[in-house]
Amino acid sequence: MKKKVLLMGASGLIGPYLSPGLEEEYDLHLADIAPHPDGKDIVETDMTSFQQVLVAARGMDALINCTVNRSDPVASFHVNTRGAWNVMKAAVELGIKKVIYTGPQYVRRTYDHYFDIDDVPRTPGTGHYTLTKMLGAEICAIYARAHDIQVISFVFNGLGEAPTQRQEPGDYPPFTVVWEDLQLACRLALEVKSVPDNFQEFNMLSYQGHGKYTLDKAQRLLGFEPTRDWTEYFARR
Amino acid sequence: MERVLIAGAAGRLGREIARVLEDDYQVRLFDAVGDGEGEWVLGEPVDPEAAGRALEGVDALILTGEPPLQVPADEVARDEMILDWATRGTHVLCTAAVEEGVKRIVYGGTLEVFAGYPDTVYISEMHKPLPGPEIYSMARYLGELTCREFARDHRLTATGLRLGKLVCAEEVDRREADYLWLDRRDAAQAFQRALPLDRSEALEWNGRWALYHIAAEWAKPKFLIDRARSMGYEPEYHFEGGRA
Repeated sequence: MKKKVLLMGASGLIGPYLSPGLEEEYDLHLADIAPHPDGKDIVETDMTSFQQVLVAARGMDALINCTVNRSDPVASFHVNTRGAWNVMKAAVELGIKKVIYTGPQYVRRTYDHYFDIDDVPRTPGTGHYTLTKMLGAEICAIYARAHDIQVISFVFNGLGEAPTQRQEPGDYPPFTVVWEDLQLACRLALEVKSVPDNFQEFNMLSYQGHGKYTLDKAQRLLGFEPTRDWTEYFARR
Repeated sequence: MERVLIAGAAGRLGREIARVLEDDYQVRLFDAVGDGEGEWVLGEPVDPEAAGRALEGVDALILTGEPPLQVPADEVARDEMILDWATRGTHVLCTAAVEEGVKRIVYGGTLEVFAGYPDTVYISEMHKPLPGPEIYSMARYLGELTCREFARDHRLTATGLRLGKLVCAEEVDRREADYLWLDRRDAAQAFQRALPLDRSEALEWNGRWALYHIAAEWAKPKFLIDRARSMGYEPEYHFEGGRA
């Protein structure tokens, strides 16, 4: 039987591009506060309401939280921090043992001058987006530790379509993941049995050519490799 | 005389801090509820307008970290309020402080973030917090992280005081002594010691942020307070040997 997976934020900037890579292998349910751009059925869910998150999560085997509010000084705390908390509380109450959390990368601003960067301390600063998502990640880690829930957290900087033609001359976009790779990473996260300390955060990127941000941990713990060598599109010939 | 704002002033800790500071500072008190003597500004920490009013002309900000005094009866609504005040409330107050040019912020966190360690471990500021999901300690931990980020982004000093479980030495049964116990008067003394610390011109952000563990003194302590002693903290209320 297919695992039941709830994708929260299904109508947002990531969800509609993620679900095509999940719906074949999983019994995928969609939740959002807004209608789906392609008219798909969604469970209308306000992430700031524990009751609504609980209703949407009932009967699921895993939860994917792709919700975000980027800049509103009030809603960012309610959606990103309280929303993450509501998801973890619902997971505890319903006995759900797998959660995928997503957030902005918190490291680029600080670590851009370094190389081989993976699994470094978060440096969110005081911006509403990064701070509230970091607080949400902390809540995920706390609940994962206390209730033996496996949380895989993906951190993004850029997301988008895979290249379809050669870029000449052109550099790879740094810390950017293409949809196909993110779909694969989510499938691996849904299948991985456990991660150290029940919570791990992973860089998500498709281009590693700079030697700056790396996928080492995702390769090691999830078995993740980009679906193809996208750097070919940027090769100098 | 410098003006200090105490946010969370209506609680017992806030009142005690006000008492120890009143001779050396102009103390302004901020909370959603408040009465009695002193210069009060009433408002919620999540209200930017109230926070701005409270911080007008202020030189230093103290956030007691204590939860709101009046909470909804409904458990979900209560917990949401505690989380929101600790995170967004801290952000709103610290933002208003930055706009006012405040250079020193002191935040009251909790030693309960080390609940995940066994009693066989001496805990210092070097240990990784392992908070549990209990709302009071988790929210306070998240408030501490929020406050810390202001030291990263701004030229101000943020000092985190991780406090034990606040009690009054004369009111507790010492046979039930808990390593987390901290007399509220000692906690207030720690705020008094931390308030003058000014590392705002440190070039590296981690020079502008500092943590101190504030505990009572024990013959065989669990929480080491050597670092707090270095800023002048000296606990006066003990829970061993019947001495208060």
